[in-house]
Amino acid sequence: MPTIELKIERLERLVGKKLDLKELEYDLQWIGLDLEDTNVEEQKVKVEYNPNRPDYSSPEGIARALKGYYELELGIPSYEVRPGEITLNVDPSVKKVRPYIVCGVIRDIDLDEDEVATLMNIQEHLHWAVGRDRRKVAIGVHDLDKIIPPYRYTAVKPDSVSFIPLHGDGYPMNLEEILLLHDKGIEYAHILEGKDVYPIIFDNNDEVLSFPPIINGVLTTVTNDTENLFLDLTGTDFKAVNLALNILSTTLSDMGTKIESVKVNYQGGKEIITPNLNPKKWEVKKGYINDIIGLELSLTEMLKCFQKIRMDAKKSKKNGYLDIWVPAYRGDIMHPVDFTEECAIGYGYFNLPLTIREGGVGAYHPIQDFSSKIRKIMIGAGYLEILNFILTSSEKQYDFMKQNYDKTNIVEIANPVSKEYNTTRKKLLPQLMDTLLLNRSEEKPIRIFEVGDIILLDPDEETGTKREVHLSAASYHEEADFTEIRSTLDFIMISLGYENDFEIKPNKNLSYIDGRYGEIYLKGSKVGEIGEIHPEVLLNFKLEFPVAAFELNLQDFL
Amino acid sequence: MSIELKKQVIDILKILQEKDIEIEASKLADELNVDYIVLMSAINDLIDNNLGGFREEEMYQVSLSQEGLTYLEKGLPERQILQILLKNEIKEINLDDLRAEAKLDENLFYVGISNLKKNKWVTQSKATGENKIFLIAEEFPETQLEKFLKKFESNEIVDYSILSKEELMQFDVLNKRKLMNKVRKTQRIIYLTKKGKSIPISEIQELKQVSKITSEMLSSGTWKKYNLKPFDVTKPGPLLKAGKIHPLVNLINEIREIFLSMGFIEIRGPIIESAFYNFDALFQPQDHPARELQDTFYLNNPKVAKLPEKDRVLAVKKTHENGGDSGSIGWGYEWDENIAKKTVLRPHTTATTMRRLAQFYRNNEKVPVKVFCVDRVFRNEKLDKSHLAEFTQVEGIVIDDNVTLCDLIGLLSEFYRKMGFKKIVTRPGFFPYTEPSMEVSVYYDKLDEWLEMGGSGIFRPEVTYPWGIKEPTRVLAWGQGLERIAMLYYDRTDIRDFYINPIKWLREQSYLK
Repeated sequence: MPTIELKIERLERLVGKKLDLKELEYDLQWIGLDLEDTNVEEQKVKVEYNPNRPDYSSPEGIARALKGYYELELGIPSYEVRPGEITLNVDPSVKKVRPYIVCGVIRDIDLDEDEVATLMNIQEHLHWAVGRDRRKVAIGVHDLDKIIPPYRYTAVKPDSVSFIPLHGDGYPMNLEEILLLHDKGIEYAHILEGKDVYPIIFDNNDEVLSFPPIINGVLTTVTNDTENLFLDLTGTDFKAVNLALNILSTTLSDMGTKIESVKVNYQGGKEIITPNLNPKKWEVKKGYINDIIGLELSLTEMLKCFQKIRMDAKKSKKNGYLDIWVPAYRGDIMHPVDFTEECAIGYGYFNLPLTIREGGVGAYHPIQDFSSKIRKIMIGAGYLEILNFILTSSEKQYDFMKQNYDKTNIVEIANPVSKEYNTTRKKLLPQLMDTLLLNRSEEKPIRIFEVGDIILLDPDEETGTKREVHLSAASYHEEADFTEIRSTLDFIMISLGYENDFEIKPNKNLSYIDGRYGEIYLKGSKVGEIGEIHPEVLLNFKLEFPVAAFELNLQDFL
Repeated sequence: MSIELKKQVIDILKILQEKDIEIEASKLADELNVDYIVLMSAINDLIDNNLGGFREEEMYQVSLSQEGLTYLEKGLPERQILQILLKNEIKEINLDDLRAEAKLDENLFYVGISNLKKNKWVTQSKATGENKIFLIAEEFPETQLEKFLKKFESNEIVDYSILSKEELMQFDVLNKRKLMNKVRKTQRIIYLTKKGKSIPISEIQELKQVSKITSEMLSSGTWKKYNLKPFDVTKPGPLLKAGKIHPLVNLINEIREIFLSMGFIEIRGPIIESAFYNFDALFQPQDHPARELQDTFYLNNPKVAKLPEKDRVLAVKKTHENGGDSGSIGWGYEWDENIAKKTVLRPHTTATTMRRLAQFYRNNEKVPVKVFCVDRVFRNEKLDKSHLAEFTQVEGIVIDDNVTLCDLIGLLSEFYRKMGFKKIVTRPGFFPYTEPSMEVSVYYDKLDEWLEMGGSGIFRPEVTYPWGIKEPTRVLAWGQGLERIAMLYYDRTDIRDFYINPIKWLREQSYLK
């Protein structure tokens, strides 16, 4: 989850209210923020916001919500967008590489140190939360007075344009060189992989503003003397570029600057004017909201709830409906159901009553139920229950057990955390052996068992695999032998009432000693294996005494 | 007051008086043919009566190493080589040929050769070339080293302190050749006190005390004649190596019982799951960060899963693209079936919940459906004290008509009350597939702290509509990880303990915390 740092003094200034750290800690949770850390000395807090609320990525954004919570300001915050004359022309060639661009102009900027930090920080957050690490949205901020409109967004051959990039060596580089040599180019080159043309923004003199989503030109560097900004937001998702622009420009406006629109001229006469900060209107059934929350709020009460979370609501002309206006910096409203949560936040989660609905007859899953029975029998037999991961290594599962395997015939994890967890287990016994290894200095006898899932490849299954529950037990001490483990198996079969339905057929298995191994058959079909572990396997697990063990497929008992 | 001792103790005292020397305990036990523990318990009785005692002394024992033992049988390498020469009546031989014949490891062969030279049995002259040796002696008597080695034929273990000066030199030679073991041992030397040496045996009363009642004593009635030896009832007994349920399974079962008592039915689903049920059906856009490799385990084998019926896949696709019939505006991108086919180790049990919703649709079931799942899930995390790549998730689901957020709070408070938490608080939260969403915290009085438990909410219409679950039918859901609670419950500081089975802990852990 993303976090931002808030200075109490700055937040107080933005909210217009004295804030107590303790109270703030309490209050933030009710508007969907989580206090991560409090620094009393420096009067700072670190808060976590949910990724669906990128408008919380600045103190200005959080202050807006707090003002509503404290009822200092209600309803939609209004932002003035002055109509501007600046035009940006979009060339159709960008369609196949980075099709969308929206722009804005910010005038009369006079930012203090904290505000400059916020401007940097918010871009980073928007790149992450809305922009999917610049793939979906990339932001460029420029000194407006260094460039001459109209501007041009187009796509060019990688080696056809050179300019001096920001944070470079001060020499012109062509686009291909930037991707190969420039830090940011190397970091983001993957976004342009496989494209034969790259996006670029020129001014009227063919000077380069930006090579999105990689780097700006040095020409438009923002300095302390910068008075006006030009914002470009390019990307692959029209909604997302607009949302990022709206969040950025409203935050800048909250810092006391003036927003001016830009005409973005897509070819074919499609001209849009951005930023468009007009609230979006939704029509939502009032009863629906009450129904889902479980409240019976009156119209007035409900309208107040929406105003508190900085939306505007009104009784609709349509009977039983509300008209709700959503501020342009909110990108998380997709469905009328989203207003139920907004209303509940406005009402205060702490005010929500609880209701109890009883009924229903519970039941355990048959295999779990059977597993519980097996556990009781094993405890009675004196075995200690252990638990292992389903994740394991092919080395332990097969090599250590002297089992041959075909790499194409086992579950293989594409991105394992380590070699130790590169597959899922097919048998429980190897991990029981591993448990003995880790505990070999403990007091003997050590008798352990596990009831757990194993995974088998099965092309007939929808997921290509199936899970089954196995039981495995192992006895480890000086005297452990086949007779002992056979007695244990017999005890299980007797306790389950299968004493006449199973038999052990002698066989060979590389993990076990020849002549002391058999396969377990229940009503004629193979359900498991039992025997004394082969000395080489014992040594692979660094054990000093014999191990007698069995493994049973419990699925076959149901 | 006269002294009373058990018969066995009196016998031992008698022998010690006759011997009139201090003696090492295990040696005495061997001589008397009694168990060492029985002997020491008799000595303790003597101590109690101020008749005898023991003191502990450190000593070194020497014995042959594994390699040394083989020489006892086959002879030292020099003797082995000599035998070859004598057997074949060879007076001079090329070293390489000899080595081939001797079948000794290179190192041992040269050790043998060098000792043959040292014993002056062979010579190797520079003038005739480095590689030849000549047999020069006529007789080959047993060397000091061999004599010393023989010592171990009858006595496997020899007291280091009784070795003569000469023998110590042999020991050092053999020790350097790694043929010896030398271990430190503590031995107990038993002695009698003045009183113990002088007391006439006839003055000692035989104590008719036994530690166990035998079946013979009971049937013959002789039990009346004996005193039963008192036990120190204040001392703990040795730890019983018994069977026991794993602490985490114990907790899982408690939670399963809570669900059962609340009328929930247990469900189970695939561990290797399609991205479709994991993410797509839950309305997670295909470019969502949670779907990336650094969060979720993908599989190379099997690489893809089959998708369910075409019309449902289409319904999910539409919902992503434009909201479908759910009333949503959708994500507005082109949904790719191939991404949905990828297989993953399920990162949450909600995939299984989705399958239950699909089943609800296919079977045209009636509400209410109340189900739960306590099962394994997987996240791509490096394992450390507080992170696992595989853990247990708890999830509860209610499909019913007209269920509300307030009903969900009711369910949560009942569930956590049964888990032992009296106070709960729900706060706004965010999960991609629920709306409204709530974070749940409970008050843990033992620590006087609020603990974050997990998430909850009502499934988004975008999630339920493709499966025909439409207003006023809704799906309430809550879930949480289990191991963090288990850590508190069982007072563990390392979350990995639940899956690496420290047997000492498993044997000693209590269930009631």
